Amino acid sequence: MLPSFRYVRPRTVSEAVKALAAEGARAHAGGTDLLGCLRDGVFDAKSVVSLSGLDDLKGISPTKDGGLKIGALTTLAEVARHPGIAKGWPALAQGAAAAASPQLRNQGTLGGNLCQRPRCWYFRGDFDCARKGGEICYAVEGENTYHAIFGGSGCFIVHPSDTASPLVALRATVKVVGPKGARSLPVEKLFVLPAVDHTRETILAPGEVLTEVLLPPPLEGAKGLYRKVRSRGAWDFALGGVALALSVKDGKVASAGVVLSGVAPTPWRVPEVEKLLVGKALDAKLAAEAAELAVKGAEPMSGNDYKVPLVKGAVEEALLALA
Amino acid sequence: MADGKDDRNDLDTNGGVSRRGFLGSVVPAAVGVAVAREALSAPAAAPAVAELPAGEPAKLTLVVNGRTHKVLVEPRDTLLSVLREKLGLTGTKPGCERGECGACTVLIDGVARYSCLTLALEADGKKVTTVEGLMEGEELGPVQKAFVEEDAFQCGYCTPGQVMAAEGLLRENPEPGLDEIRHGMSGNLCRCGAYAHIFKAVDKAARFRKER
Amino acid sequence: MTDLLYWLQGPVPETEPPTAEMPPWGETKVVGKPVPRVDAYERVSGSAVYPLDFALPDMLHAAILRSPHAHARVKAIDTSAAEKMPGVRAILTAFSPGADVPWYRSRGRFYSKLFDERVRHEGDEVAAVAAETRAQAFDALKAIRVEYEEFAFVLDPRESLAPDAPLVHDGGNRYGEPARYERGDLAAGFAAADAVVEATYSTACEIHAPMEVHGSVAKWDGNRLTIWDSTQGVFVVQQMVAGALKLPLANVRVIGHYMGGGFGSKLEAGKYTVIAALLAKTTARPVKLFLTREEVFLNAGNRPANTMKVKIGAKKDGALTAIEFSSIGSGGAYPNGADTSFLATDLYTCPNVAAVDENVAINAGRARAMRAPGFPQGAWALEQAMDELALKLGMDPVALRLANVPKVSQRRGNLPYTSTGLAECLRDGAKAFGWETTRAAKKDDGPIRKGYGVAAGMWGYGGGPPARVVVKLFADGSVNVNAGAADIGTGTKTVMAQTVAEELGVPLEKIRIEHADTGTTQYSGPSGGSKTVPSDMPAARAAAVEVRTKLLAGAAEELKVPAAELKLEGADVVSTKDPAKKLAVTEVPALQRNQVIVGVGTRGPNVEGKVISMFAAHFAEVEVNVRTGEVSVTKLVAAQDSARVMNRLTFECQVQGGLVMGLGLGRTEERVLDRQTGKMVNANWHDYKIPTALDVPVAQEVLSAELVDTECNTAGAKGVGEPATIPTAAAIANAVRDAVGLRVHDSPITPPKLAALLAAAGKKG
Repeated sequence: MLPSFRYVRPRTVSEAVKALAAEGARAHAGGTDLLGCLRDGVFDAKSVVSLSGLDDLKGISPTKDGGLKIGALTTLAEVARHPGIAKGWPALAQGAAAAASPQLRNQGTLGGNLCQRPRCWYFRGDFDCARKGGEICYAVEGENTYHAIFGGSGCFIVHPSDTASPLVALRATVKVVGPKGARSLPVEKLFVLPAVDHTRETILAPGEVLTEVLLPPPLEGAKGLYRKVRSRGAWDFALGGVALALSVKDGKVASAGVVLSGVAPTPWRVPEVEKLLVGKALDAKLAAEAAELAVKGAEPMSGNDYKVPLVKGAVEEALLALA
Repeated sequence: MADGKDDRNDLDTNGGVSRRGFLGSVVPAAVGVAVAREALSAPAAAPAVAELPAGEPAKLTLVVNGRTHKVLVEPRDTLLSVLREKLGLTGTKPGCERGECGACTVLIDGVARYSCLTLALEADGKKVTTVEGLMEGEELGPVQKAFVEEDAFQCGYCTPGQVMAAEGLLRENPEPGLDEIRHGMSGNLCRCGAYAHIFKAVDKAARFRKER
Repeated sequence: MTDLLYWLQGPVPETEPPTAEMPPWGETKVVGKPVPRVDAYERVSGSAVYPLDFALPDMLHAAILRSPHAHARVKAIDTSAAEKMPGVRAILTAFSPGADVPWYRSRGRFYSKLFDERVRHEGDEVAAVAAETRAQAFDALKAIRVEYEEFAFVLDPRESLAPDAPLVHDGGNRYGEPARYERGDLAAGFAAADAVVEATYSTACEIHAPMEVHGSVAKWDGNRLTIWDSTQGVFVVQQMVAGALKLPLANVRVIGHYMGGGFGSKLEAGKYTVIAALLAKTTARPVKLFLTREEVFLNAGNRPANTMKVKIGAKKDGALTAIEFSSIGSGGAYPNGADTSFLATDLYTCPNVAAVDENVAINAGRARAMRAPGFPQGAWALEQAMDELALKLGMDPVALRLANVPKVSQRRGNLPYTSTGLAECLRDGAKAFGWETTRAAKKDDGPIRKGYGVAAGMWGYGGGPPARVVVKLFADGSVNVNAGAADIGTGTKTVMAQTVAEELGVPLEKIRIEHADTGTTQYSGPSGGSKTVPSDMPAARAAAVEVRTKLLAGAAEELKVPAAELKLEGADVVSTKDPAKKLAVTEVPALQRNQVIVGVGTRGPNVEGKVISMFAAHFAEVEVNVRTGEVSVTKLVAAQDSARVMNRLTFECQVQGGLVMGLGLGRTEERVLDRQTGKMVNANWHDYKIPTALDVPVAQEVLSAELVDTECNTAGAKGVGEPATIPTAAAIANAVRDAVGLRVHDSPITPPKLAALLAAAGKKG
């Protein structure tokens, strides 16, 4: 049962910014994640600020430089089936298609998918965990099958988004509008590791709204994919996965974006792997080497050491698929 | 109308469930308490509600199955609860109320969504179709007929949601292949495990819809 | 033997045997045909009113406050703030007058109360609120202040008997003495074996999670109570509620026309039923109380986790010489069945067998019978062990099983079966699956490996009395059938209509079923244990035959010929000797005079000296990604022996459902309890993963051995719900073993588990 809250539906972004700056205000885009959190008592909301009236934030349009602008309120279904995205930025289309279920993709938005709260069962459940302001991360001594092998400290969530890793791999940027005006930043910089702040996943300040995602123009010879490994065929978050955005010129990798999902509190970019790939022809040997490197330094917990071979396998398979 | 019919003049003053006829001394879900009905002249163009304090009921215009309803809702009321408890449309089923089963699937502006994760206020100005809206009078619609013929259910509780998901899928893709059917139906759990028959039924429903 | 409501212990209540002659059906006209369900319209149109859809004028809504702790004592409850909340009309706690109702009865004692001051698992009931709206009831729960004294808890059955384990119940953590079974000489059997395999297997705890949550609507009229309940058995609910509230049975009417699935979790009255009744009494208003989805996960039953040790010995030719089986499981915080040994002691011919079942208490939700309780677990262990034995002997797994098909029941006094189709299931299934050809063509290279597996199973209960059905033939030739059984989605109403139509020649459209109402319909046990068809259809048949007999007698008077000379042909009664002598059914004077002819049918006793069992063999094809540990079940074939198939369409649907549920056990489902707090971390449908449309194979083939069984009952049908799910998970596990050469001993086979095993074994594409 949902708790009681005030409902606000601004008509403009500036109204939204104002409404969201109020204490206890929560943004409602598609609402699929927000309502779940409110039902579970993960946090409460004095007011729910529905962004659904902001038509400017919906839709996909080309940018002057050959890139693409995706309004933050564009649904995942629209992103997944957009022919231009599937062609030019396939990792994103596949990531959007791999999220949740058809109905949730019809409702959930790209902005919401980036800003959703983690699926950690201690965070969602009746546990006073560190991310909710408590003393401990229950995953450390508890049931940590689905938790982080990279980047955890004080909290070991994995980032739940299937679109975040592709967007980081694609070097996309987001536009954020807040009380102090608008700013743009790389998607990679949107997310916060627990070492910096274990109570939040993004750098968004109160009142800030993510308004659009900008995809840079596809590089010549661009290839990409998103490979997600999950326990169940639908409606399941990644056990591990990888987003690849490569460009290949004269048979050699000219640029590479390699970002893991389901392994760290943020999308987990592996620059060493990107560096390794560039300038080389993608073959089985390189794929195996890159896969090995991708999991280097992993720090598994008691119940998630499987993620090391699983992610390694996924990276190798994904690279070979693009070879 | 998105569902291809317009029964705006088909008003009734008896709780809006005349099709079901006599149900003895009971009615499914509280009907009519806070409901007023009016003939639909045009779907509401723009969302009306801008702000609503917690716990405060406000009048909302909902267009469900081609009929316009004015209902009193508070911010936390979901579309699911309003359909069932205020409009008496109990075909839409709660299974989890957290977007994890699909039993509550309805079409909003022709697109399949979970009514449990949709605030009623978010349906403001949109066209909602429920399983009752697929009926053609007392006759089953094509998807429903296909589900009967292929025995695509057991206990039947998830069935309205399955039917609506299939309807949504077929509106978007009138001739889905088997793999598209499996993906399209992957947002609806069936604990009785009737999936194989559901796949057949959706395939058959596509044919029935075409023949119509 | 498991502690089940449908597996009756002690003397079997008996309805008197029917007097009508009912020779076995030969070729049937309606029975067996793939006709759509008689209540399909209601289910697809949304017009069926399920209990959760139900509302009454002036009705209140209730919600339950549950323990957040795995083990604690309620020191104090302060409801004063909640009482002042808007819309709140009543609050019940352990300290409320009239709420001191004993609950969870087993072996002659009660283990708890409606609201127990000592809570023994997360989700145990602490208080309940009735309010004007559901939201108000839940808001009020949050305002109730409870002070707990927390205790140490135990979650793993294997640790429950340790000397220092926390006591769930005073007096010890055992639910009764271990159940032991022995025959022959185990040591001699193993000494005679050419090959012996031994291993430990375990199954994770599963939750029934039916689509419709559990709950009731309760309404009083003076001292008479009416309950609308989502249940598999209205009469069980009636008995339990009447007992709890000390009411005459006649004053408790329970109605359960539709219900959204149960799988064994709705074979009893819930505390919620009695709480709704008490709140309704307190407030003098109808009360609706349904659980939330999360509450269903915590406190509406489960299939307990089991750890099973199996040792099997065999001769070179595959003949089994000895089986040793031990199992430990837990009924949960309150007693319920957790035994798994039955299959190991009865499925295969084996002279020397010893088995022991331990059932202990833990601080987790209580089990309830879940679809073939104990059997899928037993199959998981036994059938994987048989697979290992086949490997060790170098035998084909199908051939090994065929070599040990019993001619008589091994556990039940060497009694013969009324029919046994185990060999047919294995042979027909193998043929349909392409067992030999696909296995021969298998390649063991590349990152995606295919594997093939088989497993067999049986269900040892073939229904029986008591059951009674009344058939009424109306003056216009249409028919009303009155029976107490719930239709839990298996098609009970449909096959009952077919049964009656078979005998009376009335089209299905002219038959109406009235069912599952203690006030107006005949007694029947709850629908569970695959017993509804074999128990209730013979009664329905007997009732229809009685109507026909009366009808023919009436016609004989009019036509002035002996009744024995007459037969029913469509809408007419016709002489078998002189076709000119005929009379329309509607013109039979006896019918016209009375406006109705009534037939009462009962279920007679089961045949003496024989055993009724259903058999199954399941075949699975899987693809394993050795890089990631992903398992895809790409094909399932189920070969079933249920003797007569009453309706090919619903039979196939139910068997496929069994496959999917078995796939859940084998591949995806697992209750996870936090070891630090004892709380369930996955009490929702995302984190507790039941199979979706993308997890089940499109290729699901259902075969029926279609044996003619003239002895099991007068319908000749043995039932199918349980056997359809027993061997599936084991077949999948065996297929995974075949694919990658690794044995996964613990269910479910998830990518995390398999990726770790593959990595440890150094497997790579």
